[in-house]
Parts: sequence; structure tokens; C-alpha cells
Amino acid sequence: MAKTILIVDDSASVRQVVKIALTGAGYDVIEGVDGKDALSKLTGQKVHLIISDVNMPNMDGITFVKEVKQLAAYKFTPVIMLTTESQEGKKQEGQAAGAKAWVVKPFQPAQMLAAVSKLILP
Amino acid sequence: MSFDEEMREALQTFIIESLELLQDMEECLLSLEDGDDPTERVNAIFRAAHTIKGSSGLFGLDHIVSFTHVVESVLDALRDGKLGISPELVAALLPCCDHIALLIRNVVDGQLDADPAISAAGRELIDELQQFLQPGSVAEKAVTVSEKQDILEASGGGTMDSGNWHLSLRFGPDSLRDGMDPLSFIRYLSTLGSIAQLTTIAENMPIADQMDPETCYLGFEINFKSGAGKEEIEGVFEFVRETSTIRILPMDSEIDEFISLIKELPEDESFLGQLLVKSGALTKRELEDALNLQGEGDTEDGGQAAKSKQPIGEILVEQQVVQQPIVSAALDKQKQIKDNKARENQSIRVDAERLDILIDLIGELVISSAGVNLRALETRETGLLETTGEMMRLVEEVRDSALQLRMVPIGTTFSRFQRVVRDVSKELGKDIELIISGGDTEVDKSVVEKIGDPLMHLVRNSMDHGIETADLRRQRSKPARGSLRLNAYHASGSIVIEVSDDGGGLNRDRILEKAVERGLVQHNAVMSDQDVYALIFEPGFSTAQQVSNLSGRGVGMDVVKRNVTALRGRIEVESQIGMGTTMRIHLPLTLAIIDGFMVGVGKSTFVIPLDQILECVALPEDTGDREYVDLRGEVLPLIRLRPLFEIDCEPPRRENIVVVEYAGNKAGFIVDQLLGEFQTVIKPLSKLFAHIKGVAGSTILGSGKVALILDVPSLLEYVGSKNALVPPSLSQHSAQ
Repeated sequence: MAKTILIVDDSASVRQVVKIALTGAGYDVIEGVDGKDALSKLTGQKVHLIISDVNMPNMDGITFVKEVKQLAAYKFTPVIMLTTESQEGKKQEGQAAGAKAWVVKPFQPAQMLAAVSKLILP
Repeated sequence: MSFDEEMREALQTFIIESLELLQDMEECLLSLEDGDDPTERVNAIFRAAHTIKGSSGLFGLDHIVSFTHVVESVLDALRDGKLGISPELVAALLPCCDHIALLIRNVVDGQLDADPAISAAGRELIDELQQFLQPGSVAEKAVTVSEKQDILEASGGGTMDSGNWHLSLRFGPDSLRDGMDPLSFIRYLSTLGSIAQLTTIAENMPIADQMDPETCYLGFEINFKSGAGKEEIEGVFEFVRETSTIRILPMDSEIDEFISLIKELPEDESFLGQLLVKSGALTKRELEDALNLQGEGDTEDGGQAAKSKQPIGEILVEQQVVQQPIVSAALDKQKQIKDNKARENQSIRVDAERLDILIDLIGELVISSAGVNLRALETRETGLLETTGEMMRLVEEVRDSALQLRMVPIGTTFSRFQRVVRDVSKELGKDIELIISGGDTEVDKSVVEKIGDPLMHLVRNSMDHGIETADLRRQRSKPARGSLRLNAYHASGSIVIEVSDDGGGLNRDRILEKAVERGLVQHNAVMSDQDVYALIFEPGFSTAQQVSNLSGRGVGMDVVKRNVTALRGRIEVESQIGMGTTMRIHLPLTLAIIDGFMVGVGKSTFVIPLDQILECVALPEDTGDREYVDLRGEVLPLIRLRPLFEIDCEPPRRENIVVVEYAGNKAGFIVDQLLGEFQTVIKPLSKLFAHIKGVAGSTILGSGKVALILDVPSLLEYVGSKNALVPPSLSQHSAQ
């Protein structure tokens, strides 16, 4: 069945756009409003890809990724980090934490789809 | 209904559809050896497998996709006649049908992923099929790893052509742990083109008990066929670039392509790396990496870094990001550019604005020296006349050499078209060669700047509409390769730029037909070839039967004409059906100063550009109010400047005709006095007067009076519109 993608971003609109693009392309999307919320959504079900923002309240993206990599069920799940142009350092921090892919904000839905489809198939 | 529900419902449809298809497949397979023509049945079987593969992909049933894919490949080969129908083949395919049915029934039971036991059975079936597909080396490797590689191996098929890129991928050991699945990247790669051949490199795979299942040991050698550039292909592997080794090289057969591309690059970049990036043989990232490497070498070597710095070309070849021949070509190009630069260094660069100021001043000098000359003539003092005569000559020389400063060879403009012709001919699928001559011809810089666009349009138009497709050319027993010529030369005080092709030529009848359709000419108009060809420059005119991407929207040619006219030039068309077309642009040598001929009407003075004047004759006294005279047996339409410019005074007893010609049309201006040749600095009219037709500009006379420069083309048009009232035979006559 359709593959599941977890999108973690504190902006409802970013989540909404990403969700529309991804569901349109045949993915299932679940949402998390911040790192903490997203972790609570990871309850053992299969998640094929995680897309996470960096700056978020409660738990930021870097910490979130580090936490995810500790979870046996998700440690191999690819993570796309949403960075901004000016966050070159954050990108590296994210990579060190285990988020090896990234999409630079602001992005077009098509760019997101391209990045996603490099990593998993619908 | 939610998306999930939608998907579930769709899955039900898929299951029913697939089981039906499998049934058909089985029936067809069984009747395959009956003896009747099996083509239709083979096609049906292929379609069934193809549909199942396609729709199971939509539902993420990868194990079904991968299994069906191999079946489909075999059927494809069968359909193409590469495989014969044999009892063995049918025997191998029938269990495959059963297997697919089994997989689908498992889906009905809710099992959406591969079951290990069933997969193993599937692999055995695939092994059997592979023997039909490619009895050889690749088949052996295909089974080494996992089911997933089976798909990729099979997609090689060994039947497609070899592709134009070679990708050498060695995924980093942590790739899988990072969630970077090599398969996904390769699948994504195939959205950019087609994978012609793929070989899995599993040399690094240790024996089973030493193998870490989380570590990636895989490498791939891929022959890839794609229109995408290196940069784009590199982008696919963006996320694994840092941990993996990704080499993207053009196939050997493509190397020549890159070499010729490098040769055609404009000569404005002298860094080797930049040249390679521009040609597309190297990506910016690869260059950056190589430069970093070079930099590292620097710091290690310390003081003598500058000397021992390894050339970037060597680094690139060592890193295997570009092949040696391409680097060599780029080095040659670099040398050529440096040589040209060295030559350039012997000249002085001057701000164009300063030059303009100088030329402007010289224009004023020409005017005031004309004034001095006028006064001197009035004094009738021989000594003064002699010195002013000498001064006039020198001023003229100063003017000429000042204008010379602005002259640049048109060659640079021409060579830009190498790339254009190359790209456009690729786009059009035509083989077209560009032949450039007369590149040394010097043209005023402002002309060069403005002629680029019209030329571009003419070139594209010739390539698109002029030159026929290779097939048609062969039918017409012409060489398959079309040729396009750009030529420039000086002719009688003007520059001529020619764009010619050896294509089909202009179709007179089709142009006329279209013009009638558009209401540009009357149904039974009698027109000379020149007049007919000129119609293609009318706004909104396009005879292209198929509107293509490049031209043919009818927005081009009239713009070309407008641009050329704005440069005080004109376009001539010469065409022979089946032989080709030549577009000839005549342009004045310079835009700032013209040689004019001064005439007087009443108290006003007018200047007519000298290069448009043929002769001056006296107006026959018996002309009366007629609109034309007989000039040595030719009908010459007349334009009376007095009523045209509403000059209110009695005409003198004897009037004169100035015969002008523009674009093959002649007319006579009736004036009072002929005042003689005059060097004129053109002062453009202010915006306030811009709408006035028939006047191209103004100039200031030696006496300080203003004289208007006549715009011959627009005045001739005025005659043309008047002549529409006289019988067509006459107007046709006048056009000769």
C-alpha cells in the first residue's frame, strides 16, 4: 500500500502544502507539529520517510532526528531536513544527527516531490 | 470518501482485473503453439503482464512489480521477434502466471509485502526466464544479491542501444543505515532517461557470516541514455554524494561531441574549469571539489606551493570526472583564448561613451566647418578658399578615422551563431552546417549591438522553414546536411549581411495565396517576385504550415524588418524554389553621419541620403499635374515636396527631379533647387515630431538653419499607397 511519510513542522501551512503534494503523488502522510508531538506519533507503524523542520518549539528538529535514530523501528528511516539558505551549519548538524537529505526552504511542492522520490517510491 | 478508502476500493478493482488478465494470459499461452499466426496472442499476453506490472506499482506491491517485470521483458523480446516460441518457453511462462496469481491472492489475504518462501520460488522461476532473456554473464550476476537487483539487471535487457552517459556508483557503507536506498536513486534516475545497461558490482560483498546486513556493499555501473545534462544527473545523487563515490562520464562515443562543444564556446572565459563547466562536461560541484583538492595540495607544500601546484586538468582526470581528450580540447581552447587576449592587449579599451562624445564633437566640427566654408565662398578670397578647402579635407579625414574607432569586426556576432545553429538543429532534428565568411568586415558598434536579434530571427527562420528535413533533402537529391551561410561585405558605402540557406526556397504561390487570404493583396494582383517576397515581412504574415516552437507564429519577420529599418537599412530577399533563399540586409556604415544631398524647396532645405539617389534630371515642362513622368521609357512616379510639406510659395520656372531608389522601387522627388552634396550629422527628431512620416531626422546647416532629412522609404510607401488608385499595370511597372 501507499508508503507513509511523517511531516514535522510547526507551521500548519507548510504541513498542509506538503501533505497535499505528497498525497497527490500517492503517499500517505501523517503530521507532527513539533519534535515531541512527532515522536509520540511514531508508535511502531511503518513510516517510510520523515520530513522534519529544524526550528520548532518543544523539541527542535536536530534533537528529534537524534531521538528517532535511537528507535529500533525507525533508525533506518530516511530523514529529509528542511533548512533555509542561511542554515548551512544546521544542515551539517542535521547530517551528523542522521538526516542525510535536505530540502532548502522555501521550496516548491515539485522540489519536495523530487527529493522524496529520490529516497522512496510511492 | 477518504484517500485510504479510495485506495482500498481501487485495490479491489486491481485484484479482479489482474485475475481476469491472468486467466486470459494462460489461455493465450496454451494456444500459442497451435500454428495460427500467434502475433495477436503474444501481444495480448504482453499487454496483460504489462498492465499487471503497471497497476501493482501504483499500489506499492513492489514484489509483484519486480517479478512481473522479468516476465514482461521476456514477452517483450518474444513480441519483437528476438525470441522464438518454443515449448520450453511456454513451459517456463505458465508457472509464472500461476505465481503472479498466487502473489495477488496473497494481497487479497492482506499480505502486501513479499513472503520469503514465495519470493524464493519466484526467484527460481525468474532464473529460468533469465536464460531465455540473456544467456550470458549478466544473468549470472543478476541472482547474486536480492530480488530488487533482479529488476535492474533485467532492465538492461542487452537489447537497447548503449546510452550516452556512463555512471559509476559506489554507495557508501552507511547508505542503508542513513535510509538512503540505492534502488530508490536508480529508480529516480530512470525518470531522467533510460538505463541501457546496469551491472551490479558486488565485489566488496564479504562471505555470508561476515556480512553486516545493515552495511551497503553495492556498486553499480550504469549505461544511461538521457537528454539530461551532467549537472541534472548529478542532482539525482545529491543526498549520497558525500558518502558515496559518484562518477558521471560521457560515453566514449560522446567525447567528440563535447570536444566540438568546447571548440564552439565563446572566447570570454579563460579558466580551464569554467570552460569545462560551460561545455557541460564538468559540473560546478566537481570543479569545486577539484579546486579544494588543489588548494589542499597548496597548504601541504607550504612555501613553494605556487610552483608545485598540480594543474587542475590533471586533478580532474585523476579524479575520473572528465576524460583526458576533453581536457586536452579545453586546454587547446584555453590557449587559443589566451593568444587572442594577448593580441587584444595591444589595443586600448576605451569607454564607448567617451567615444560617442568624440564623435558627437566631430559631428559638430563638420557642421561648423561647413559654415566656415560657406562664409569663405561668399568672400571669394582665393587664399581663404584654399585654406578652408584644406581644412574641409582634414575634417573629413578626422571624421572618417573617428568613425573607424567605432568599427568592430562582425565576426564575433557571427560566431555566436555556431552554438545557436547547433542547438536549434538538434531541436529540429535536422543536420545543419553553418558556414561563416566575411567575419572581418567591420561594422559600427551600435549596428553590431542591434543586428543580433534580427539576425537570430533570420537564422532560426531559415533553419526552421528554409532547410528541409534530411529525408526530403535526399528525395530532392541534395546533400542530407543542410547548410546555412552567414556572410558580410562592404558594398557601395553600406554593409551587406547575408543569411542564406540551401533549402526549399520561398514558395511564391503559397505566399500569394496566404497574402490574399489575409487581405494583404487583391485576389488577382499582378506582382513581381520581389514584391511577393516582401510580403513575408508584413505583420502577422506566416506561411509555415506547421507552427513550430521556434518560429512560425508570424511575429518574427515584421519585427526583423522594423529593426532593420530602424537602423536605416533594408532587407532584400532572393529565392529560387528548390535551391534556397538569401536574405540580404543592407545597412549604412554608420548611424551618426551620412552623406546627404541638399535640395531646396521654396525657402526650406531638405537633405536626401546620397546612397539612395540615382540621378537628378530637369522636370520636363509639359508634365503639368501628372503624377508620373517618362524617364527614358520607364514610368517614374513623382512626389511633389511642395504640396507634401505644404510649402506656400510659387514654384520657380524650372523644377528638378531627384530620382531615388529604395528596395528596388524608384520615385522622383520634385524640388526647386539642387544644392549639392553635404556631409550631414543626423540629429534625431524629438519625440514631439516622432509621428511625422517622411522625415528621418534633422541636421543643422553651416548657416545655422535646420534642414530636414527625408525618409525615402516611407515616402516611397506613400507613393505606393497613392498608386493603388491607378491601374495595376502601371503600379506593377513602377515596381520594376
